[in-house]
Amino acid sequence: MSVTESGSRSGVPVRVSECGDGALRVVAVSADREANWATVHGLSRWLDGCGAVGLHGAVPTYDAALVEFDPARTSAAQIRAFISLGLEFLALGPFGAEAPRTFEVPVLYGGGYGPDLEDVAAHQGLSVEDVIRLHSAKSYIVRCLGAPAGSPMMDGPDFPVPVPRLKDPRLSVPAGAVSVAGRQAVIAPAVAPGGWCVIGQTPLTVLDAGREPLVPYRPGDRLRFRAIGQDEFDALSGSFLEPLPVPGAAAEARS
Amino acid sequence: MSGTLTVLAPGNTVLTDLGRFRGPRFGLPVNGALDQFSARAANVLVGNAEHEPLLELTALDLRLKASADTLVSLTGAAALLEVGGREQPSWQPVSVRAGETVVVRGIHGGLRCYLAVHGSVEAAQLLGSCAPDTVVGFGTRVQAGTTLVLRRSVRPIRQPYFDLPLYRFPWGNDGGGHGGAPGFAPARGDHGRGAVVEVTDGPDVEEFGDSADLLFSSEYTVSPRSNHIGLRLGGALPERTTSGEVLSRGVPVGAIEVPSRTELLVLHRGRGVTAGYPVLAVATSAGLDRLAQARPGDRIRFRPTTVAEATAVSEQSRLHLDVLRRSVTAVFESLGVGGPAAWRQEQVEQYV
Repeated sequence: MSVTESGSRSGVPVRVSECGDGALRVVAVSADREANWATVHGLSRWLDGCGAVGLHGAVPTYDAALVEFDPARTSAAQIRAFISLGLEFLALGPFGAEAPRTFEVPVLYGGGYGPDLEDVAAHQGLSVEDVIRLHSAKSYIVRCLGAPAGSPMMDGPDFPVPVPRLKDPRLSVPAGAVSVAGRQAVIAPAVAPGGWCVIGQTPLTVLDAGREPLVPYRPGDRLRFRAIGQDEFDALSGSFLEPLPVPGAAAEARS
Repeated sequence: MSGTLTVLAPGNTVLTDLGRFRGPRFGLPVNGALDQFSARAANVLVGNAEHEPLLELTALDLRLKASADTLVSLTGAAALLEVGGREQPSWQPVSVRAGETVVVRGIHGGLRCYLAVHGSVEAAQLLGSCAPDTVVGFGTRVQAGTTLVLRRSVRPIRQPYFDLPLYRFPWGNDGGGHGGAPGFAPARGDHGRGAVVEVTDGPDVEEFGDSADLLFSSEYTVSPRSNHIGLRLGGALPERTTSGEVLSRGVPVGAIEVPSRTELLVLHRGRGVTAGYPVLAVATSAGLDRLAQARPGDRIRFRPTTVAEATAVSEQSRLHLDVLRRSVTAVFESLGVGGPAAWRQEQVEQYV
């Protein structure tokens, strides 16, 4: 098992481990969670654009990136060299990070749309209203795109205790389901099985296989939830989730 | 007017390619042909780039009809290939005349076959791949009546008097099989029962303590609940000695996890890109090709290897495909089949 530690020049130390003959796992191991996250995402953006032969791409999450390649066209040693190079570039400044955009996600909480809302409230020792208030109070950072299908993985609401996963995961959770588990929050872009607690649903379409990108947000974007009623849910059904206009951008476009 | 392939009986068939390599960064599984070597070989045999759309048959028979002259090849598990009612060899390019029916039946000694056609067929693409993705609902459904549009037609290349092929590419011992490709293309009959799958240590192997060695001392049985997402295996289970929540991380295709107390899980190409289970071991690329051919009830053993050795095996299989491509190119050029440009561009196009 070959593990290397490096990163003296990049500031954030990383550990690179073998992950089969077609992948490497890069874990940022500093004490600073934000720096770890920024490092693996910056490195992944650099790798996705570096053009190394046989490199398929990188999957960044919270503190780690899975770097995938074709072992018949390149080697783990070659990819490790690109990872080191990427970290050196990163040490010179943030790489390729685009300005974060903000998304507002309307949510109909509870009832048939959020079947686990009452259980979550009971477990937290809070009222249903408090759970909705806490969930829609903060602005979340999209930490990474996860399974299934480009789900926006976010650090969860400021609940008193972590939310346990369902004992019996559901075989099918609808697209648009708004869920929490542990200290995390997410929206389901597509129908899939799920073990997270569903507290509401957005009427907006999050994923469209006919559009590129498939999902409108990217890691680093901000997302906040807004409670809505049934009428607004019905009115918004079928609309796409789009970023909020950037203040000033409209005025610039007019001039 | 283009030629077509019309599906008469679909069996359990998908239109796929090598996979959606740009998918994982957006949270989509790579998907694509589960037995990558067989899929690549099928395309090479008909003069295509390796990433072109082709048909993946799982377990069940397929019957289709060609409206134009073309060339096909069948690879993967052992099966009977019939064109116009005549039996034809697998792992070779085979001429099909306009109006003839192509039948693949009796898949045995493995689970999946690959049927490629010269010039390939038109297919909708998502992020550079036609591979189906069941979660986002993408893919071309192959059902009775489905019409696949051929991108190219080619005149029959058979010896006109005795109806024999003019050439036969050397796979080794028995001509019709592929026993000449040891190490990466399992010989006929070697699929499934008693298959050995090589694995390297996973990044989290230490979390399993001494119980990790159980993986190599016991035999595992493939559960019927296995699919393109992963194979579930019954047998002695290594146990995690640590506890606590693991942060969601990207998991590689081939990751071996122990998510339950009843089964081992080996993730295949349809796997969710991120998960929170520790990775005990990772099947090699060649091992994943073998697992793609494992049938429910088959027994499997794991053998430890190193990344360096696994890479050498991959390079050998690459070399074998390159040699095959050179001989296919030479034969096709001498017969005036297709245009060489279409497959020489592959180096550039394949991994964009």
